[in-house]
Amino acid sequence: MSDTAATLAKAFSPDVAPRQRRHNVALWLSVGWLVLVIASAVLAPWLGFLDDPHKPLSGQPEEGPSWSNWFGTDQLGRDMFARAVWGGRLSLSIAGPAVGIGVVVGGVLGVMAGYFGKWIDLAVSSLVNVALALPALVFALFIVIVLGQSYTNVTLAVTILSIPAIARIARAQALRFAAREFVTVANMMGAKWPRLLFREVLPNVVPALASIAFLAMGIVIIAEGSLSFIGASVESPSITWGNILAAGRGKLEDSPHIALITGGVMFATLMALNFVGDEMLRRLDVREARI
Amino acid sequence: MGLRLAQLAVVVLVVTLLFYWMLNLLPGNPCVAAFGGAATQEQIAECERDRNLDEPVIAQWAKWGGDVLTGDFGKSYLTGRTFGEAVSNSLPRTLLLLAYSQILALGAAIPLGLWTGYRQNSVSDKMVSGGAFALLSSPVFVVGLVLILVFAVKLDWFDLSGYEPISEGLVAHFKVMFLPSVTLASGLLPIYLRLLRTDVIGTLQEDFVGTARAKGLPVRHVLIRHVLRPSSFTLLTIFGIQAAQAVNGAIVVEFLFDLDGVGSLLVSWVAAREFLLVQTLVALIAAVFVTVTTLVDLLYSVLDPRVRRK
Repeated sequence: MSDTAATLAKAFSPDVAPRQRRHNVALWLSVGWLVLVIASAVLAPWLGFLDDPHKPLSGQPEEGPSWSNWFGTDQLGRDMFARAVWGGRLSLSIAGPAVGIGVVVGGVLGVMAGYFGKWIDLAVSSLVNVALALPALVFALFIVIVLGQSYTNVTLAVTILSIPAIARIARAQALRFAAREFVTVANMMGAKWPRLLFREVLPNVVPALASIAFLAMGIVIIAEGSLSFIGASVESPSITWGNILAAGRGKLEDSPHIALITGGVMFATLMALNFVGDEMLRRLDVREARI
Repeated sequence: MGLRLAQLAVVVLVVTLLFYWMLNLLPGNPCVAAFGGAATQEQIAECERDRNLDEPVIAQWAKWGGDVLTGDFGKSYLTGRTFGEAVSNSLPRTLLLLAYSQILALGAAIPLGLWTGYRQNSVSDKMVSGGAFALLSSPVFVVGLVLILVFAVKLDWFDLSGYEPISEGLVAHFKVMFLPSVTLASGLLPIYLRLLRTDVIGTLQEDFVGTARAKGLPVRHVLIRHVLRPSSFTLLTIFGIQAAQAVNGAIVVEFLFDLDGVGSLLVSWVAAREFLLVQTLVALIAAVFVTVTTLVDLLYSVLDPRVRRK
């Protein structure tokens, strides 16, 4: 029952069989891409070479990629590279906190449900069931239209969406570990529930939650993108990946680069998140099977 | 079964009450929206009385629930049109879209899943599984945009001229419905495929598969009759879960292809504060989901003798 940090370090350690080397290349490519995207999103205001994403006529309107406008320009001549970076900044700054809060709240709810059982489990499971009976996007749409299309409300809406799914996984993990011998042993040795919960069960749930966080991040980015796409996320002139794509939809005929390149950036980011998440789950499970 | 039905009924109740409560948090109400700010206090008050909007939320909700149970699905505050009239245009489109995409997704996932599970780690398996992974990472709107660009803009095989009903001819109908259905199916396919593949790999280890092969049955026969059958339960379960979530994709696809389905209707109703209609529609979606889940449970016992015996 080593601690969480060691488990996570193990999941990423390069010390694996040769036939996994190809997986490693893909893994580090994914990690590299994520670092690039996150760094550019965080540093966007300080990147000197980046044009102002709202400034018209940074180049000829509706031009394809060129040396001065890497991702081309839109119908107003705004630089699409700057827009993609700033769009990523907003999309990620919605998804990041949403997943962070989702993992903490969903994790606590799920672990409590799985560990304590009884009425807590009944309450949490019912909540999760109700949430699953709703089409998530309808619900998010609703929250955003009811409360208004602000950054906080969109973040709130996608956070609420992420909680049930995360809670369900945390519950399953907690159930699985609560029944294990080492917990029974600790219990027999006289440990009280706080120790059992925080020192025995929780450290084993956290690695799974960390991997799930990557997958959840992908889902939340898609959810926010869908909201943006149907015009129900943060209102323009705010830039998100979703509303760049929605604008690009009308321009497919003349300047397909607007939708295609931003779509490609989004796709690569989601692919990287899924790959890292899957790979962590896989490696943690391998370790799990060896115990 | 009884407990499960009770649980499901509670789910629908909670969902509708939750939405009713949220709807009432909306600033403004249909009466204010209808008069456009030019009304006196008395006019608005009278209008609210006529539509029971002055009652407490829980009473409104109870009245709505009673009406629905007696077959009255509510009507528009503004136009007076009933729920049935209001959705008669949009609902068939959305339902057809959902049906076509499920057929496409299952139709592709079953043979591919069987094959990749059977030929695990072969080149074709790696290609298909890699493709499924890529699809899983592609939001439907990105897939849809690429499909529009390639097949409608560049190749000009399909129209993007809104919706054509079946009565306008099958060719015209499928010309507008094909791309949206493929787009929506692209989100479902990888989920079905990956599950089925894992299942098939497990089932192939079973003794009865070895026996069937040893008897000299052809591979195709074994895969379809012996391997697919137990895996159909997994597919059925995930189908039930995806039924609610497929609506998410359908809304985005409707927007992408200008289909004017239920998704667009819902957005415009929320904006117009059509509480009753939104409420009925949400309840309908929840009820459909609950029914599908129940049917899946029932089908289990029909398909699987092991469940029946318990």
